[in-house]
Amino acid sequence: MSAADPLQVLASAGKGESTRSVLRVIILALIAGAAISSRLFSVIRFESIIHEFDPWFNFRATKYLVANGFYNFWDWFDDRTWHPLGRVTGGTLYPGLMVTSGVIYHALRALTIPVDIRNICVLLAPGFSGLTAIAAYLLTNEMTPSPSAGLLAALFMGIAPGYISRSVAGSYDNEAIAIFLLVFTFYLWIKALKQGSMLWGALCALFYGYMVASWGGYAFITCLLPLHSFVLICMGRYSTRLYVAYTTWYALGTLASMQIPFVGFLPVKTSEHMPALGIFGFLQLLAFLDYVRSAIPSRQFQTFLWLFAGTAFGVGLLGLVVATSMGFIAPWSGRFYSLWDTGYAKIHIPIIASVSEHQPTAWPAFFFDLQMLVWLFPVGVYLLFQELADEHVFIVVYALFGSYFAGVMVRLMLTLTPVVCVAAAIAVSHLLDIYLNAKSPENPDAAADKDADGKKGGKAGLKSTNKPLVGIYAGWVKSVIVSSFAIYLLLFVMHCTWVTSNAYSSPSVVLASRLPDGSQHIIDDYREAYQWLRQNTREDAKIMSWWDYGYQIGGMADRPTLVDNNTWNNTHIATVGKAMASSEERSYPIMRQHEVDYVLVVFGGLLGYSGDDINKFLWMVRIAEGIWPDEVKERDFFTARGEYRVDGDATETMKNSVMYKTSYYNYQNLFPPGQAVDRMRGVRLPEVGPQLTHLEEAFTSENWIIRIYKVKDLDNLGRDHASAVAFDKGVKKKKPAKKKGPRVLRVE
Amino acid sequence: MRLLPTVLSLLGCLSTTALAAAGGSGGAKPSANLRKLPPGERFNLFHGKATASSAAAPLKLVEADYRALVATPRDYSVAVLLTAMDARYGCQLCREFQPEWELLARSWTNGDKQGESRVVFGTLDFNDGRDVFMGFGLQTAPVLFFFPPTMGPHATPSSDPLRYDFAGGPQAAEVVHHWIARQLPNRPHPPVKRPINWMRWISTFVVVTGGATASYVAWPWVLPVVRNRTVWAAVTLIAILMFTSGHMFNRIRQVPYVAGDGRGGISYFAKGFQTQYGLETQIIAAIYGILTLSGITLAVKVPRIADPKTQSIVFVAWWSILFVVFSLLISIFRTKSPGYGFAVPPFM
Repeated sequence: MSAADPLQVLASAGKGESTRSVLRVIILALIAGAAISSRLFSVIRFESIIHEFDPWFNFRATKYLVANGFYNFWDWFDDRTWHPLGRVTGGTLYPGLMVTSGVIYHALRALTIPVDIRNICVLLAPGFSGLTAIAAYLLTNEMTPSPSAGLLAALFMGIAPGYISRSVAGSYDNEAIAIFLLVFTFYLWIKALKQGSMLWGALCALFYGYMVASWGGYAFITCLLPLHSFVLICMGRYSTRLYVAYTTWYALGTLASMQIPFVGFLPVKTSEHMPALGIFGFLQLLAFLDYVRSAIPSRQFQTFLWLFAGTAFGVGLLGLVVATSMGFIAPWSGRFYSLWDTGYAKIHIPIIASVSEHQPTAWPAFFFDLQMLVWLFPVGVYLLFQELADEHVFIVVYALFGSYFAGVMVRLMLTLTPVVCVAAAIAVSHLLDIYLNAKSPENPDAAADKDADGKKGGKAGLKSTNKPLVGIYAGWVKSVIVSSFAIYLLLFVMHCTWVTSNAYSSPSVVLASRLPDGSQHIIDDYREAYQWLRQNTREDAKIMSWWDYGYQIGGMADRPTLVDNNTWNNTHIATVGKAMASSEERSYPIMRQHEVDYVLVVFGGLLGYSGDDINKFLWMVRIAEGIWPDEVKERDFFTARGEYRVDGDATETMKNSVMYKTSYYNYQNLFPPGQAVDRMRGVRLPEVGPQLTHLEEAFTSENWIIRIYKVKDLDNLGRDHASAVAFDKGVKKKKPAKKKGPRVLRVE
Repeated sequence: MRLLPTVLSLLGCLSTTALAAAGGSGGAKPSANLRKLPPGERFNLFHGKATASSAAAPLKLVEADYRALVATPRDYSVAVLLTAMDARYGCQLCREFQPEWELLARSWTNGDKQGESRVVFGTLDFNDGRDVFMGFGLQTAPVLFFFPPTMGPHATPSSDPLRYDFAGGPQAAEVVHHWIARQLPNRPHPPVKRPINWMRWISTFVVVTGGATASYVAWPWVLPVVRNRTVWAAVTLIAILMFTSGHMFNRIRQVPYVAGDGRGGISYFAKGFQTQYGLETQIIAAIYGILTLSGITLAVKVPRIADPKTQSIVFVAWWSILFVVFSLLISIFRTKSPGYGFAVPPFM
């Protein structure tokens, strides 16, 4: 019986409690490993590089923190951004991310492991995603007795594209650690609520404070926990457990959040924090009434008390509305308000509407980010309705609000993903638990007998669960469901890998394209241009560009900028927009006033790169028009037929704008006469390109993506630049100076 | 790629050819004596007309009045809306803006009875002033012209009118008020006063009290529904399915319900990853709903069926639905995202 022995061992191995725990730890470690490694595509394909825009600021701030220490970082006034205003950076950022990497850096240093701060920053997000998977495991285990649900949730959380989108290696953004903190705070909240424990409540507040220090999305927790409590109260489930958990969390958590300079007194002053405060007050009232009720037995009096509680709640709500309209409490900030009134941002705050992350989500995006979880998610929510304990109510409330917010704003898919993973894992594990049970019910009659004994009172539960659970009779039924779900899960893994590899692993600083022979070609214009700035300009040369590139210029070129991705000053951004949208003569004084030395524009016409400045130009115009409606008019950039054109039929205002001129200057010389084509917009350009008077070309990158122009100094002879250029041209005609050959496209 | 360019299309209501075709005989001859009056008296005359009754502003002008009103020199400002209200021209924009314009003119004129801001509001319809429209070479209506004063303390160097286009659709009175106020610095700007909508208040009151009474009366019947867990579960699931199938996108972007495919047929699915149609999201929501329902049935209902044979039949039915519909979903997604390479039979 040698063959039976290993089988026996295997079968008994899964039975012991300690072996199970060991297995569970190993599986969790493997899941964390899978979560980390699936996020490394970009490091392997490109290199260990910080991605996109915002991460470059976080990286720069982390370097500052590591170099100058925590207190200097806290008091940091940055005079190299928002020239000439500067930015009180220490007081206007969420320091959690930088401090986390700083602590890791110093800890590794203390262990004498020499590691570059950049590598810590690049790998922070994958590392924390492993922790998120474990947090999802813990949260799910609080929801269901099934031991496999937690592991499935950890797996889903680890590889769901909805979360990978913001946490690949190099995506060094606040969300990198914030999602872990979000899930873990929820876990601690559930723990505190179930046990009515002050210790867990305090831990919850601690992690809530960490979350506030890390991401502006903390408001999601600030609103969801009171909402959960409110729903519980409405269901008549007020308990001392709820009272202890909530008040501990609120008191300590609010104090913790107020320690962050950027948050400061907002928790007592703004509308988005008012639900938490209101429920805190309401709970005190309920606790008092609960006490009185237990002391006085009269029934009428109890009714009176509940009416009293309801009235107090209504009066409190009314007081809040009045205080808001009187201005004691700041109304909802634009970003939050636009979540409710979805048309608001488009009309009033073009700078919010212009960000593509703030667009609503079409259904393919949901499927892309969640695949089969998107329909397993409601199944899990339904299963939670069966028991509907306090913690299940939390998942239901979270599911509803999470899916609403994710529908309104693409980036909030991130906050929906954890609950989808938890609910879907509950659904799949429930299915597998039923269909993987090797024991079949013996015969229908025996089952019917049991049925008579164990009939549940169906009034409280769902209608569908009135009948008792029998089990699955046929073996083939079990094998069909198990094999089909095995295939679906495999497909899910392949889908996630494909999505991560194709959609979310591009650094967007370095672009990749395919050559006709199928080999990969790296387009590295951004870094080429920033390197040029770093090496060829004065250290305090001010660069004017659209705000998207502010963080990158600060991080990679280390040059002062006028505006950057921290869009705190709309007027300043509008000034840059006006300078870009006006003619050279009008924008020259603006540039002189702001001491601009170089103008940087992004041009995708040669490569067909869609993210260029001409495509963003209308937003610049719109934002500038919001401040100077008389000087910049969006209408002037459209032809009489209402088209936005860049070719020969473009409007005069368009052709004279600094943006148009700097984008297309000299471009026609790349082509045979009259054949210049803008590959992005697919139009033929006029034979005679724009002429520059107040600017001169300083640098153009290999593929013409980045073009840098120097702002001319005042003319030596006191002429205006237009006449000086005209004069120079006249001289040139008589005595042709060193003739420049036509520009040739450098091809490798 | 944070910025999305949007192309704004101009709302043109009326073309010059249509104007020429539809116009009748021209306006009256310019009354020379009115134009000869000194500017101060002209203002008093028109302002007196406008304040004669509370509904007199904006003045309904004919071409002669118009010419007299905008004649130089003038020490007052004129805001004239050139519009085409006649049903023949089908100018939707004109009709939508007209009440706002009247509201603006009335609240301004009645708020400034003394004429301190020295503005006259007028409306010139196409039927009454065809030549004026031709003179400006107008292609579209409505257009608002603002004539600044040419003499007096607020005179501007240019006597040319400023033009306000309705490129963004019909504007609220406040928006136009803001524009006019900007042209009139250092003068009073009487705010727009919207009349109280009594009907709305009354109807809200009636609906609220009626609702409260009805719910009080029906409370014994409503309470079991409110407390029914199955009802709540259904509402929750429907809401989740609605949101995850892109309903909010439809609301915000106001996408069309369906669109033609250019060959006379109907295209149910929009081309491209970032777009969708109304019907498309309903189909997707239905697919998600069927998948969810089969998942629930397999997880909850099937193991509760006591009879082995029935259990097997129900299982096969729901499992095949799940299998086929999920495959259909993936194949629909493939049409939206052409690079997607995964498939499950039968829709390969």
